[in-house]
Parts: sequence; structure tokens; C-alpha cells
Amino acid sequence: MNEFQEKKIKFAWPEPKRSYDVVIVGGGGHGLATAYYLAARHGITNVAVLERKYIGAGNSGRNTTIIRANYGIPEAVRFYQRSLELYKHLEAETDRWIMHKQKGLLNVAHTESALRTERARAEVNTAFGAKTEFVAPKEIKEICPQIDLTGGNVWPVLGGSYHPEAATARHDRAVWAFAEGAMKRGVHVHQRIEVRGLTMSGGRVTGVETSAGPIAAKAVVGAVGGHVTTLASMAGVRLPIRTHPLQAYVTNHYDLQFDVIASSPGLLFYMSQTARGEMLVGAEIDRQPSYSYGSTYHFLQHCSHRAITLFPFMRSLRILRQWTGVCDMSPDYSPIMGKTGVDGFLVTTGWGTWGFKAIPAGGEQMAQLIASGETPELIAPFGLDRFASDRMMADRGSAGTH
Amino acid sequence: MLALNRIHATRIVATPSALDSAQWPDDRLVFRIAADEALITPPMANAVVSDPYAIVVADSGFAGAWLPMEEALPLLEHACEWELPRERPAFAQGSVAGIPAKLWIEKDRVLLIVPAPFVADFEERMA
Amino acid sequence: MRLIVDGQPIEFDAGDSALIAMLRAGIHPTGGGCLCLGGDCPHCLATVDGVSYTRTCETPARPGMIVERHPREGYPPLPLNNPAAAEEVKARNVHCDVAVIGAGDSGKAAAEEAERSGKRVITLDAKRGQEVVGVYPGPLVVARTPDGMLHVHPREEIIIATGAAEIQPVAPGNDLAGIVTARAASQLAAVGVPLGRVVAVGARPENAEATVADGQLIRFEGNGKVEAVIVRGADGNEKRIECDTVSVGLGLSPRDVLLRMGSGLAIRAVGNAAREPELPACPTSGVVCSCSGVTADDLQRVWDSGFRELELVKRATLAGTGPCQGSVCVPHIRSFLKERGGELQAPFTARPANRQPTLGEVAAGAHHRATPRTALDAEHRRLGARMDRIGGWWRPWNYGDTRAEYWAVREAVSIGDVSTLGKMIVSGPDALELLERLYPTQVSTIAPGRSRYVLLLDERGYVLDDGLICCDGASRYGLTFTSGGSSFAEMWVRDWAETWNLDVRILNQTMSLGAINVTGPLSKELLARAGFTRPMRHMEHTMATVAGVECRIFRLSFTGELSFELHHPAEQSAELWRSLMALGTDLGIKPHGIQTLLQLRLEKGHVIVGQDTDFDSTPRRIDMEWAVRLDKADFVGRQAVLRTNKAPLDKQLVGLEMDAPAPVEGAVIWRGSEYAGYVTSSAQSHALGKAVMLGWVKLFDGVLPTELTIDGRAARRVSLPFYDKEGRRARA
Repeated sequence: MNEFQEKKIKFAWPEPKRSYDVVIVGGGGHGLATAYYLAARHGITNVAVLERKYIGAGNSGRNTTIIRANYGIPEAVRFYQRSLELYKHLEAETDRWIMHKQKGLLNVAHTESALRTERARAEVNTAFGAKTEFVAPKEIKEICPQIDLTGGNVWPVLGGSYHPEAATARHDRAVWAFAEGAMKRGVHVHQRIEVRGLTMSGGRVTGVETSAGPIAAKAVVGAVGGHVTTLASMAGVRLPIRTHPLQAYVTNHYDLQFDVIASSPGLLFYMSQTARGEMLVGAEIDRQPSYSYGSTYHFLQHCSHRAITLFPFMRSLRILRQWTGVCDMSPDYSPIMGKTGVDGFLVTTGWGTWGFKAIPAGGEQMAQLIASGETPELIAPFGLDRFASDRMMADRGSAGTH
Repeated sequence: MLALNRIHATRIVATPSALDSAQWPDDRLVFRIAADEALITPPMANAVVSDPYAIVVADSGFAGAWLPMEEALPLLEHACEWELPRERPAFAQGSVAGIPAKLWIEKDRVLLIVPAPFVADFEERMA
Repeated sequence: MRLIVDGQPIEFDAGDSALIAMLRAGIHPTGGGCLCLGGDCPHCLATVDGVSYTRTCETPARPGMIVERHPREGYPPLPLNNPAAAEEVKARNVHCDVAVIGAGDSGKAAAEEAERSGKRVITLDAKRGQEVVGVYPGPLVVARTPDGMLHVHPREEIIIATGAAEIQPVAPGNDLAGIVTARAASQLAAVGVPLGRVVAVGARPENAEATVADGQLIRFEGNGKVEAVIVRGADGNEKRIECDTVSVGLGLSPRDVLLRMGSGLAIRAVGNAAREPELPACPTSGVVCSCSGVTADDLQRVWDSGFRELELVKRATLAGTGPCQGSVCVPHIRSFLKERGGELQAPFTARPANRQPTLGEVAAGAHHRATPRTALDAEHRRLGARMDRIGGWWRPWNYGDTRAEYWAVREAVSIGDVSTLGKMIVSGPDALELLERLYPTQVSTIAPGRSRYVLLLDERGYVLDDGLICCDGASRYGLTFTSGGSSFAEMWVRDWAETWNLDVRILNQTMSLGAINVTGPLSKELLARAGFTRPMRHMEHTMATVAGVECRIFRLSFTGELSFELHHPAEQSAELWRSLMALGTDLGIKPHGIQTLLQLRLEKGHVIVGQDTDFDSTPRRIDMEWAVRLDKADFVGRQAVLRTNKAPLDKQLVGLEMDAPAPVEGAVIWRGSEYAGYVTSSAQSHALGKAVMLGWVKLFDGVLPTELTIDGRAARRVSLPFYDKEGRRARA
């Protein structure tokens, strides 16, 4: 009756062992993808993923499911383009339907300064393998006929950029595909096990203290969202991360008629239509740092107001559900992946508002690092050491909203 | 239709105690817009406060309009999320229709004040 | 009176809801499913006057109302051409001590009790059309009312008195028409909707004739509409009872969504909303979630596949993610999981919105960020300027002929509106101390009457802003900031003054003062005509009258030409602007917009903070170490600059030039096939006849490359400035 129900995935939940080669803390997309690629690409299967709630309970299940590579610096464009490519083939690779759909992403600009940003985006994207073109209002109207180019006579659309390979996928499905793929190869995924401490010996991390007792590991990977700073501090690692809430909402379900991801970096909002027909609307992070999953009316009110400004038809849609995730923001709006300076302890964090789209490449590269001991070239620029050595990955292209 | 006019004023930044102890003529409205700042209208040619470092300048950066209470209240009910003070007269500051505003509330009328650069937006939003 | 359902007019009586009117006409809004008439179920949803997913049970029928039933397969179309949607909804704010949601017996009692203790109470009642959308931090209670949105701000407490919902039947055939809850059956009987033969399963309806079906519900039978209900009696035998309507009374589930939504707020439930939920029998067959079409078989399947938490079951089946947000299915799923897993799992997080509002409704009371206008806004528009939001202000981008604007500056005289510059006075015994700690320059060496160009750094040694420091005496300074940076700069200066506990007074005059830049070789002549005949030297400032307006005049230059910046009371901006335009007519005066200004300054190699800088721009990287005095006592950013200067330089902002045409800003710079950087500013110089640029370029083996490629064409790194390298024109 409902074609969107999950019908193929099968999970296995073994009892935890006392020791693994690799323990990954956090059963979200990044943790599970890392486990999946360890098993699938490197044959490393003595791996456990520990999740304090249920898999995908954190930001993996709270994001707005956008896959794009139109970032602002070469290192990021290459990394996210890799992820975009991996996503394209994930259904074939795992034989699971993640509702992946290429839609194209339209960024609209309302000022000359924003036009400059979109032009620059198109330039750096094109140079590093992501397809993005600068578009005039007329082309914008062709790509997205529902838009009001006058912006309600308040925020006129002067131009923008179009990134045709941008896509969406169902977040839970992606998490489950990685989880199941890892489980099938022997990885243990444990729900409702909370990590309470790291075991250290001779300056290196040798395992974790959990609500189900101690578990030893040759390598521990911090892949948690929100409380990653707490986890890292257990190993004496200080992460330059502030956690901010990010909210979104969906309307009720409507016939599929809106086939692009539309975004206004100036108005700080974006929207798309989900496979099930909900209009999904999001905005910028809340200014105050917090771990709160609470929703505010201020967000709903102002985000809706912005949506109506560019898309007047949205006015009579009904809002179904509003929710909140938390974003680990790094100082340069880029992720932090790799070694931490403490042996046996790696992190994949700083996933801000760009975590979902990075899951496959993040997992793939972290797995390669764990398997080889060497930081792969694709993620080398995103190491934690860059902050102390003044090598920021300053990326305004990601400093937006989604 | 609300129409705001520039407010001619004297703006004084001084220590809070100097402002607390200053004497102002009765024919002036004195708005304490911060602990260390007062806005006085009409302007005073030679305002004196007991602070040798006080900044005392003529200012025309704000604009305002008087509204009878019966017109002001329904407008503010829509434009103002915060509760108005109940005493009279009262001075209050906060967002009104999304614009930083100041209110001087007397028994039967209200003076609405916004920075002059926001007048056009404010008038449109309060229409 | 008539309304239209799917194009057919139907009669209704005064007081009918749209649902009652449809039921009188024998129409089930969604074709089938147990109706509750209490706003809990999704079975009466329809498109009403263009708005889909409207609860027809809560919508009063109106003459001419257009009801369209949702398609049975798929979803309603997006309302792409709905003119009715253009109506603006208003929001009203009310304040109280206690907000009571629900005006039934328990709500009334709670309201009266609060009133007796002197509280201001506001009661919201769905029966009066006040539907609560949600409770939020604030605290804020948002309600939809017939007159628009109501934002209730209770200071002390929110009391939830919303009662309880009836548990819906899960059994084969529960998607037929003709099934109602016990309460709904009573209501329908009371308003005279013909129910035919009524059979009651479970609790019987009040005030309605019904045959009681003794036993456990097994299934409903019928073809589109219910014809019989099958129950299993105490004897274990199934019994088939023919009927036209089945009334179902399976127990109550508290309407506690708002309570759960408001966790963390001062909120409590009273009456039925506070009761313990009754758990229905574990579903074995039939539709559990009609919003998402989830059956009991689906639950079993995902359970068997390892989805064993309520949240995972929800996400795998999508049960509870439709318009009723789980109010129908959650009790059944909890019962299912308890039977399998032994534990009763908490219901999933209650997320707004409780009653689905439209975007138009929730947008009520919202405004866009206001864009300030300078006092010259009307002058620019009168002169035909294309206005653009720049640095957060409306500013003239150009006046239609940028080439003419450019040459007026370079060869005659031009005026530009720079009122948006941040302008601040700092006074006090510690004024100098504050500025010495804030700025990387030696502030004490700025003599009264002099100004200096300065950078402002953050603690990490990165450039935050730039501007001027003007000395008005040992204890009083004027500061300027960029237009876009001024509001942040005010916070920055005030924060540090407070952090260091320095004795200073600070006044931000950005919005009070206008500023006009008079620039071009004939600017002295224009000012002389305006009565200012004693021009001071470069980087000096003075007070003087210009065209009758008292100004503080700065001699400085951003355009590269002789320039004077006139700061004056904003209310006299228009008068001053017009006087200057009139006095300069025969000098060839033209106003210049920001587009021209950006090109003029680029030819002089002046950096725009925010456009040419990034958030890791150290003074060394932007080649402005001359603006930083590392040998002075500590200032914000000094430690970081000392540290980062130890690392080898990795990239630098440099001047670049190439043949026309100028590449776009953002164009990638290559050194052979290697990435070298990107262009931040670019223009085709009218005076120089070539493309001039600023851009970030990487060092290769410690060396800045000179020969580069942009857009597949040769470009060269050159020294700055491009124009008037000796700087004679500005100092003329």
C-alpha cells in the first residue's frame, strides 16, 4: 500500500564482544559508513559501532538530505564531488533503495555581492570537477517555474548558480544501507550502548568504557554528533567546535511537482520536495550554541515568511512537522577528519550543516586511513592540525544553510 | 498612514551616575536609552552633565511620530511581541515590526521612535 | 445553503461543519476510515477553498465553500495557482500569567482557580475556533483563530486541558465508510445525521440508538461502506451483525501532544489530558496507520527485519509521519511492541505542529530583515540609480553610465554617498588605552587633527575590518569602519572596553551622520565654490562649513584622486548633495555609484575587507604588514600574528593584470596546470586599457609566481597600485 516502506533491509543485532580491532563511537551515517567501507573495501570486519540510542537517531536522521558538491574551495569541491559520485552508485552497490534522485540545486542571488559569490562558485566548481553554471533570471525561471523572480518586490532575483548533479536521498535509508552492508560482512552494530569514557594506556587510547562494560579496541573512532567535544576531551583532545541547533520542517504531502532544490543564501532558506511529496524547508543555524533538540516558533515563522517571498504558492500549504538537529561548527566551516595527535584515537567531526552529503566519502576515506595508517590525500587538508598551523580551509561556500 | 519626522535631539553619553544626577528642564523629553546614554528632545544648546569626558552632540538620527493611544494599541498588538509597560508615562525599547524601536508611552498617546534609516520600512510595516 | 463537494452542490444546515454537511449527503471525505469528529483522526481531511489537509470536522460550512476530496491514490496537487492564497494573515500578541488550552470542565476549573489567585488567564478553546498550533519556548502559545493568528505569551504557566482522544479500531475493513467513534456517533445522532442501524463495539454511544455487539472486534465487512461487523464473543465464536454504522468505543488516549511538545516549559496537564493512556489490544490485522497506509502485517515484517524500536518502526514503515502525526497509530504500535518486546516504549517525540497551520498563517507577524536607507536615498532614486543592498544598506550601484561616472572622478569631479560608513566617537581617560589595545597601530602617534588608516584584527590575528582613527585630542577619538562591518565593530569595541574595564564613553553615530565623498581633480574647486577655501593636507581633518552645512571634513582618498569626505548631520544630507550638484554643473560633476567606486579603488589596489579578504586573512597574507606594529605593547591579535608569522607564507593577496576582457571575480588562477588561487576583484580599467585584478596566489617553494593563467589566457603578477603609482593625484 505504501511504496516508501522499507521492505528489504534486515538487521542483525549480536551480543557485544569484549574486544574489537576498531570501535566506532556513534551509529550515525559517518560511523556506519566508516564501518561499511572498512569491511567492504579493506576486509576489516572485527569492528563495532556503538550507538547510545538507535542507529540514525542523531543528525543522520534529522538533516535535510541534500547531496551537493558546489562548495567554495578546491579541497572541498573535490571531496564532496567524490561523495556525490559514491552516492550515485550506492543503490547499485548495496542493492538497497535509498530514494536517491538527481534534482539539481539552484542558488539564487538578490544582490550584486551575492552574484559575485555565485559566479565564483561556478568558477571553482567547474575547475575541480563539479558541474555548476552561473544562470540569469530567465534561466532560473525555466529551471524552477514556481519561483517569483520579483521576490515579493522585496528580494528580487538577480541571477544565481545551478548545480545540476545535486541530489537528495532518504537519510534513514542511507544509514540503514550502510548499517546492513556492514552487518552482513560481520561488523557488530550495538544500539543502546553509551560510551562513558575512553581507556588510555601509555598515552594511547586502548578502548572505551560503556554502559555495557569496558570494550577494548586497537583504534577508536569518534563519529558522534553534538557531544563530540566531550568524547574527544576524554582523550585530552580539544576540538575547536561549537554546537548549534539547526531546524527544519516539512509540509504535508503533495503531488510531485517541484523537482529542483531551491536555495537563497541571502534569505537564508532552502527547500525541496521529498520523494513522498512533502515540501522540506530549512534555514540557517540558530545563533546560540546549544545541544537542544527543541523547536522554536521564531524559526518556523521567519523561515515560512522567506519561503513565501520567493514561492507564493507555499502560502496555503500546511506544515506537518518541525524538528531540530545539532551542528558541530568548526571555525572554518569545514569538517575535521583524521588523526588527533593521540595514538589509537581518530575523529570524523565538524560536520556542521554538510554532514549528510559527506557520508560516503567521509566513511570511505576514514576507512582507508584506518586500514593503511596513512591519511589519504583527499582528506589531508581537513586534519585537526590545520588550526594550530594556520591552514584554515576557509569555505564560505559551505557557510550557508544546507 | 503613519508618517515619521526626524527628531531634533541632543544625545549625551556619560557615566551612569552623571546622567542619574543631571537636572533636565521640564519642557524636555529625556529618554534614557542606555545606562550611559540619554536622548533629549527638543535639543538643548548647552546641556551640562558632571562628566568631563561626556560626549554631547546634536543628533537627528532618529525619527518619530505621536499616535493617540486608541490608534497605537491595536498597531502595537500586531507589531510588538513583548508586553508594554503598564505604568504611565513609560519608556520602552525593543523590536517593533522587526525594527529596533523606542516607545514613549503617555496616558493617552504614544511616541514611536526608530532610527531614521528605517523610517521607510517602518511606515510600510505599520500601515 | 449550499457548498460544493467535488463540483456537486450539497445542502447544509446552519451550524454544520463541512464534515457534517458531507455526511448528511452520504459522502465520506476520504472514502473510508473511522471518523472521530474530534480533530484527532485523518479521515475527514479534504481540500477546502484551495487548502488541502483541512480538517472538515473543525471547518464550519459556509455558502459557496469549495470542498475537493483528496485523491484516493497519491496526494493533492501543489496549489500553484491559488489566488485565495494571497491573503495576508495578521498575528495579534496577548500577554497573560496563565494560558489554559481547552475549555471543558477541567480547563474551566483550572482557569477559575488561577483567576481566584489573581492571575491573568487566557483560555483557548477549539470549540470557539481557537486551535492551538503549538507551545514553544518563550513561552509562547500559538493559536489559529477565525480572526487570524493569536500569539499568547503566558508569563507563568501553560495548562493543557485538551481532554482525550478515542482509540481507533484496527481490524480488517477498518478503512470502510460508516465506522465512527462512540463520541462521534452521539454527535451525529444529536445533529440528525441519519446513521441507519447502529452497532456498538465496546463502549456504547450516548444518546444514540445502538445494538451492542458483545465481544472482541474481529473485522468489518462491506463494499466501500460497512455492511456488517464481526465480533468474537466470550464463547469464542464469531458473530456477524449486519448494520449501516459501527460505533467504536475502545477507550481513551490522552491528548497530551502539547504537553509533550512543551517539555522544559512551565506546563502541566489536567483532566483527561493527564490520564494514563489505555493500551488497545495488540493489532493483528488491518490498517494501523491510515495516513501512511501501514498495516499490522507491515509492523510484523519490519519487526522481523530487526526494526525493534518505536522510532525505527516509525521510520521503516513511515507510520505516524502523516497528517495525524501518530495520534491514531501510536497506541497500537506501542501495544504491538510491548507484546513482542515486553517493554512499553515511550511514544515518539511530539513535534510541532499540533494542528497543521499553513505557511501563510505561521508567517503572520514575521518581517524581513529591514534594509536601512541613507538620507540620500530619494536623491539616488531621483537620479535614476539602480539600488542594491550593499553592506546591509540600500546603496546606488550605478546611475546608468558607469563609464561617465568613472571619468567624472578621474578627470573632473564627482560625489558619492558614503553615509553608510561606521562612525564612532570614543571619549574618556582610557580612550587612548582602549584603542592601543584594540588596534595594531601606534595610536599615540596620531596627532590631534590627523587621521590614520588602520586594520582591526581578531584574536586569531585575522583581519576583521578596516577604517580610520581620527584624533580629536588626547582623550577623544573618532573611528570609522566599513559599512558592512560597523554593527559588529560596535559590539567588538564595547565588548573589549567592558572586558578590560576601561573608563570610556562610546557613541555610534553611523545612523546620525551623513557622509559625502567629493572626489576628482576639481574637487578643491567645487569645495571653494561651496565656501570651503582652506583645504588641509592629505590625511588631515577639520571642521568647516560647506554650502551652509557644518561638516567635519576628512582629506583622504579611496578613489586615487584628490578627495574630501564631508561628514554632517544626516538631516542636511539632501541639502548638501543638491548644493554640490548645482555648484558643480559646469565642472562636469556626476555622482558615482558603488560599481564605479569598486573599480576606482581596485586601480589603486585598495582592499575591500570581506570581498578581497577571507576569514583567515592575516596582515602578512594581504601584504599589509606595514599596518601592524608588532613592536608595540600587546593588542588584540598580536600573539597570533607573532605565532603565524613563524610559519612560511603560503599565499598572498596580490595585484594581477592581463589583456582585456577582465575575467569574472572568482575566476581560478593557474600556474601551468597547478591551482594557484582565485581572483577576488576584477575590472577592465578605462584609464589603463587592460584588466586589473586582486587575487589570492599560492607560493610555490616559497616563491610567488609571476606568470599565471586565468581563463586560459596569460596574466602577470604586478606591484600595486595599478594607477598613479607615485600617489601624486590624491596628494595634489
